[in-house]
Amino acid sequence: MTVTDQAGPPAETAGGLRPGDVHALVQPDRVRGLVYTDPQVYVLEMRRIFREGWVFVAHESEVPEPGDYVTKRIAGEPYVVARGKDGEVRVLANRCTHRGNRLCNADKGNSSSFRCPYHGWTFSNDGSLSGVPMRDGYAERFGEVRASLGLVRTPRQESYGGFVFASLAPEGITLAEHLANARHAIDRLVALSPTGSIQLSAGWMKHRMYCNWKMVMENNVDGYHALFTHQSVYDAVRPAKVSHVPSKTETMVRDMGGGHSEIDYATEYRRLDEEFVWYGRLAREKVPGYIAALEEARGVDGAHDTLVIGPPHTLIFPNLFIAEMNVMTVEPLRAGETIAYTTPVLIPGQREMNSRTLRRSEGAMGPAGFLIADDGEIGARNQLGLAAREPEWVMLSRGLETDVTDATGRINKDKSAETPQRGWWKHWAAVLEGETSGNGAQ
Amino acid sequence: MTETILTDPSAAAGVDPALVSFVYREARLADEARYSEWEALWDDDATYWVPMSPDADPETQVSYINDNRSRIRSRVAQLNTGVRHSQTPPSVLRRTVSNFEVIEAAGDAVTVASNFVLVEYRFAITLWAGRYLHTIRRTEAGLRLAGKTVHLVNAGGPIPTMAFLI
Repeated sequence: MTVTDQAGPPAETAGGLRPGDVHALVQPDRVRGLVYTDPQVYVLEMRRIFREGWVFVAHESEVPEPGDYVTKRIAGEPYVVARGKDGEVRVLANRCTHRGNRLCNADKGNSSSFRCPYHGWTFSNDGSLSGVPMRDGYAERFGEVRASLGLVRTPRQESYGGFVFASLAPEGITLAEHLANARHAIDRLVALSPTGSIQLSAGWMKHRMYCNWKMVMENNVDGYHALFTHQSVYDAVRPAKVSHVPSKTETMVRDMGGGHSEIDYATEYRRLDEEFVWYGRLAREKVPGYIAALEEARGVDGAHDTLVIGPPHTLIFPNLFIAEMNVMTVEPLRAGETIAYTTPVLIPGQREMNSRTLRRSEGAMGPAGFLIADDGEIGARNQLGLAAREPEWVMLSRGLETDVTDATGRINKDKSAETPQRGWWKHWAAVLEGETSGNGAQ
Repeated sequence: MTETILTDPSAAAGVDPALVSFVYREARLADEARYSEWEALWDDDATYWVPMSPDADPETQVSYINDNRSRIRSRVAQLNTGVRHSQTPPSVLRRTVSNFEVIEAAGDAVTVASNFVLVEYRFAITLWAGRYLHTIRRTEAGLRLAGKTVHLVNAGGPIPTMAFLI
């Protein structure tokens, strides 16, 4: 792999690709197979998408108390997400500013400061350099050293609904511009909490998948695969939450623009007018504390409506997927290898509900999950299949003639339509070509 | 995870050979994808737990596997469909189990701790290792598995797909 400086290679040779090269890989109804396999494409993605654009990094509830921190990676670089004693959450480079040692070496913890084990430099968890042993060695320059060598913050950082996003580029569109219509998915998720906030505190399952990161993400909004990839679940356990036969359900797919997309079950849920269809048709008597709190917060009718519509099934470009009561994010490792992280969505103070959500999450998600283990396997086989260079195209034409545009985006009432994938690739190509200011709608 | 070892080092037999044989059998059935025979070892109130950390509280932390008896049945039923793609065909597996010690004996149940090394061959060789805690109950129908906890060496992850019986 090419070694690049922090700003990435110059545009004309970015990842070895010239302007226009990426557009040649993506057509409205198909994409070249090498978008999943080519190391040069991968290098350009790391720069254009994961460094210059907005990416999901962490949720504020992972660091609820001052001093709490979690370690993460953005585009392969180590970061620590820390809550300072002032309550502010900061995304800081996890690298000592003296000689480069990685400062935090645990997944998570609580500390008011980080002390580098190499030479003992100490940083406050707001990033400021608070201690340098044997400072006399810097003589009169010490003040300048201390003032200039705090931990590096990501150039941009913003939150929405507790989801913390960052960009490693100093300029670009705002997070609000990036999220655009997708913010409604986060609204829909947090509406399920009586307090309006959710808790991602149960830990992240870390699943190593031998496929391209985009395969993981776009599969999440593929309404076509379930009957086949997940046939064993329906054969062995129970029918799906709603029929996966597209003609038997009023479920739609939506390209929301900006690379965001979803499978929207709301119309079907409303038609059924039944609570918790999205939660295995849980009887409300099983979670009386949660019901009481939700009715207190939203009123009887509001709570009913919230429980009918349920959470979203929405992909937020490039690396966040809200899978009903689970959140998934991906970390690309190379063109053919990805870590998928999943965690259940917990509701503050609702222990009986959370206990059920934990067990449901374990059933569906992660390396041993009834669903995701098979998605990982199919992804790995897809990567193997794409090693064949002919035919050069991967087809995404399903439902192309029946897509319609409304105020929410480009929709298709056949949930097996490849509308979300078409939206993903159109945006992906525009971002890689540098036609947008970072991610987001043009 | 701190265990108190109850095995009497002066006893010639160490851990009851019947318990060791039971663990060997459980391992062999899992290795050979003999799913229904494996399921028949479990008692009615059993739990099968693979946490992400030895100290995890399953009431607040998500686990890789946290099956009650009903979900063990579902897991086996899914494997038996023949279209559980992540185990179709089944991974080729062989594990060795050793270092047996008793860490708890209460009423009719004994908890036996052991170490394991498991070699999985699928697309390539994957090495798995960790500590098993088998809670085995003596019943009139013979030995029954009341609980199995698997502390993976790499529980902190990332781990590859683990759709086989670990």
